[in-house]
Amino acid sequence: MNSPYFAGVDVGSLSTEAMILDTTDEPVSYSIIQTGANSIDAASESFEKALAKSGVSQDQVKSIVATGYGRISIPFADKRVTEISCHALGAYHLFPDTGTVIDIGGQDSKVIRVGDGGKVLDFTMNDKCAAGTGRFLEVMADKLQVSLNEMGPLSLKAGGEVSISSICTVFAESEVVSLVAQNHPKNEVIRGLHRAVVNRVWSMIKSIGVHGAVTMSGGVAKNSGVVGLIEERLGKPIHVHPEPQIIGALGAALLAKKNFLRASP
Amino acid sequence: MSLTKSIRYNFMKDIGAPAVMGFAKAGKKKRRRKPNPNFGPPLKCANRLKEIMTRHYFLSRYAEGARPVAWVTSGAPVELLRPFDFYTIYPENHGALCGAQRLGPELCSVAEEHGYNQDLCSYARIDIGHFLSGKTPVGKLPRPDILFASNNICQTVAYWYKVLAHQLKIPFLLFDTPYNFEEITENDITYMVSQLEEMIPILEEVSGKRFNNQRFEQIMLLARDSSFTWGEVLATMKTEPAPMTIFDAFIHLAPIVSLRGLPVALDYYQTLLDELRERIDRGIGAIKNERKRLMWDNIAIWYKVRDFSNLFAEHGMNFVTATYTNAWAETISNMDTDKPLESMARTYSLVVLNNNLNHRLGLMERLIKEYKVDGLVIHSAKSCKPYSVGQYDLKRLLMDRLGVPSVVIDADITDFRAYSEEQTRTRLEAFFEGMED
Amino acid sequence: MTRREYLSKQKEMGRNLIGVFPAYYPKEILWAFNAVPAEIWDPPLEIAGANAHLQPYICSVAKLGLELILQGKGDILDGLLFPHTCDSIQNLASIVYDYLGLNKPCYFFYHPKAPYRNSSRTYYLEQLRSFVSRLEKDMGPLDGGELKHRVEQGHHLAAILREIYDLRSQGDFSASNAEFYRVIRQGEYLHPDDFIPLLEGFLGRSKGGDGKGSAVILSGILANPPEILGLLDDLGVRVANDDLLNCGRRLLMEPGRMEDPFEALTANYFAMPPCTTKDSPLDERVNDLLKKIEKSSTKGVIFYMVKFCEPELFDVPQMVAAVKTAGVATLIIDVDLNQGLSGQLTTRVEAFVEMIS
Repeated sequence: MNSPYFAGVDVGSLSTEAMILDTTDEPVSYSIIQTGANSIDAASESFEKALAKSGVSQDQVKSIVATGYGRISIPFADKRVTEISCHALGAYHLFPDTGTVIDIGGQDSKVIRVGDGGKVLDFTMNDKCAAGTGRFLEVMADKLQVSLNEMGPLSLKAGGEVSISSICTVFAESEVVSLVAQNHPKNEVIRGLHRAVVNRVWSMIKSIGVHGAVTMSGGVAKNSGVVGLIEERLGKPIHVHPEPQIIGALGAALLAKKNFLRASP
Repeated sequence: MSLTKSIRYNFMKDIGAPAVMGFAKAGKKKRRRKPNPNFGPPLKCANRLKEIMTRHYFLSRYAEGARPVAWVTSGAPVELLRPFDFYTIYPENHGALCGAQRLGPELCSVAEEHGYNQDLCSYARIDIGHFLSGKTPVGKLPRPDILFASNNICQTVAYWYKVLAHQLKIPFLLFDTPYNFEEITENDITYMVSQLEEMIPILEEVSGKRFNNQRFEQIMLLARDSSFTWGEVLATMKTEPAPMTIFDAFIHLAPIVSLRGLPVALDYYQTLLDELRERIDRGIGAIKNERKRLMWDNIAIWYKVRDFSNLFAEHGMNFVTATYTNAWAETISNMDTDKPLESMARTYSLVVLNNNLNHRLGLMERLIKEYKVDGLVIHSAKSCKPYSVGQYDLKRLLMDRLGVPSVVIDADITDFRAYSEEQTRTRLEAFFEGMED
Repeated sequence: MTRREYLSKQKEMGRNLIGVFPAYYPKEILWAFNAVPAEIWDPPLEIAGANAHLQPYICSVAKLGLELILQGKGDILDGLLFPHTCDSIQNLASIVYDYLGLNKPCYFFYHPKAPYRNSSRTYYLEQLRSFVSRLEKDMGPLDGGELKHRVEQGHHLAAILREIYDLRSQGDFSASNAEFYRVIRQGEYLHPDDFIPLLEGFLGRSKGGDGKGSAVILSGILANPPEILGLLDDLGVRVANDDLLNCGRRLLMEPGRMEDPFEALTANYFAMPPCTTKDSPLDERVNDLLKKIEKSSTKGVIFYMVKFCEPELFDVPQMVAAVKTAGVATLIIDVDLNQGLSGQLTTRVEAFVEMIS
């Protein structure tokens, strides 16, 4: 008999990830795609892509956990778990000394305190406002006519920093426009924007407290500028996986395995 | 109170402070700001004011342990505390000071990191942030022995001081002033008088001093005279051109708020009044070309006082009155040493923010007429709900009744993260254009 | 019967309808005047006109209440009562009374703020008497016997509510969370002659239960959107008790047994749980919440904030700290009213339940 496989699918607002694991918790394959307008389609597509990459057939996958804001609508999932629990477990699995997870995603940011075994001990999330999320940077990148991926490297080249005082995305947008009009270098403005995001996330970090090693997940973890500023503020390095977006799907796949083993001991 | 601390305090008060401050002044290079061509000569009194306030904060460092210390709200009946020799600190004044030095967001963030929501009053967030971090531009604030608030300016001060009382485990006295919805009744007055009576034994216990009625009455008179003189200072701006601007008044407000009932406040306002009268005699205006006269509504936007002052002067517009500065002059005539506590109750419960909006409308109409106001700038202050809720209606009613144009600026008193330079500029430019008929 | 239909019926029966803003007021006095208080917390309206009077940083309780008046939904009311709850409601009362030119009486009820001393009690008693005199001007003389009867009825009502809450916190009350609050909240507009039998039926029907599953306590202002209660039901979580301003915080704990109805009402007022809108010291609030946690062996507290609610937001950090120190998990939710369950809100609640399960 073939050994069983497990899958996690994380349907986020911007991207959807699928992860396939074997019984040794080793990733067999994963995929990352844009979510687009239909989260069910995105979930199926990413799952199929991951399957295709792995060479595992769908019936070998014994348990599937869906997570992310689109988790409710995934018909093929056996279980639905919030991304908070999944990020905690995924980060703990990759970096077992993790005590705190900072996840800055497309429309949410969260700080999670992680205990033994990757259990959530406490967490906080941003309010409705977009400041302090990936969305904020996306809007600003658009205004500055740079791509999201360029922002990190550009900010690291900045000689100085322009302070952005507004916290509201709409206000900050017009502030950025006028800063550019006043000929402030783009990279200094970007550094200021990163600072604004970090300031916003910082009060969430403080409200949960920093425990153990810090792991960052979510798309914004790819932005070296933001990561650098958080490290500077923490006064210590943080763990960032090369594919920080897959941590949610990884946690979900780990839970799928747990779920399967519990059901068939 | 400790004897050593007491000796140290008295030494600093009489010899140390003047010496250190003189030294600091001598050391500071006189940075001459290029004179702005739109303004008349600056007020000579400004230096004296700076000296008084610097000394107040400087000495406060030595007050802890030497004198009983109270943290007090701007609308509280501080006259009751003075006979017990409390050193009084005004967190709102400290908040304004931090705001003017653009430290608002930094101190607010400390409070936010401890769970205090960004939507809360920024004076409170600055104070809690200061309390939690010790950060302040004035060196150090003394730890209080008692907290003294009145909800005649807002309910917020009670919520805020409750937090401090809980953290510091010290007594919190609230002077609860029923809101004047239709009228202040005899019941309300009796209630307020009883509260003041009930506070006396608590103040005696905290300060270790007996209440001295004679001193109390002297202090009341001193406070009344200071407020009265402050009122006369403001009234000089009825003259065209006005000898000072409301932006000056925002700064010169500090003694009447935080040193009320002390001789230094009265002395200061008499000096200031003399200077202003002299300016009137000589026809000196605060700005050179006073073409339009404006009224300000709500607390100052502390981090923009200088910018706004320049901007409006450039347009030949001078702010000559404000509901805010007027608050410390408006109800003082009620003070009466024949009925001390009852008159205190009336003085403090009838202030503008504890009064219904009809009263506010009447007051603004009167100020607009008396000060010959051409336009109104309304600061909608996120921090201050009692001051801000109702402004949209006031704006509409003043336009309907008196045809006075106005503009609303969405901002905050100290937290400039809630302020948009671009949005404000657009609104003000439209307002300026509208004023040029 | 909908709330509107019920209130119309009451009006046909000759009762006066008084629209009441949050939160504390002597309802027994209104009953004694043969009036029905209809509380205004979260009317299901789209906010439009209220934005012309109130700034963006004013809470949706104040905005929805004003919207109700502006849209004419309150035309059926014979008067409005504004208790002195916070700065926003205080000024809103003045906007309505001074500026809107409504053709109906507006009453204002000021209650003394803590820390309480002798003067607070004396003043509250006098406030009750002045409130009666004010109402007499519009509704005719008060029947003293009727007031006594209504005070006793209030005590009876409170006793049933206390029993329901006690059973609930012990896990011996089978109603779902959604059903529980749907019934309890009808007390916001039902006349006691109707509310008491409703509660008695509810009690009889729901006594017993398995008491299993995780239990949480709700703190804050009011459980809106109500869908959150259904979500907790779906997740198998029982709301064991609450410290909500519109519910548990107005529960009379020890009724005053004095002969004089005014004295009894005064004793009642000071025997209610601590509340930020009364300036209760933080120690009292913390202890009250910890007692509730202990009584119902709760694993989590959800702080249910209405965005911009200053009185509540000031108390929260210290309450959260105390609850966490007691080893109980906390979740803070900050919402505008009537916005339903967003995906983000669902995620927060689900993650919280995953955490405490």
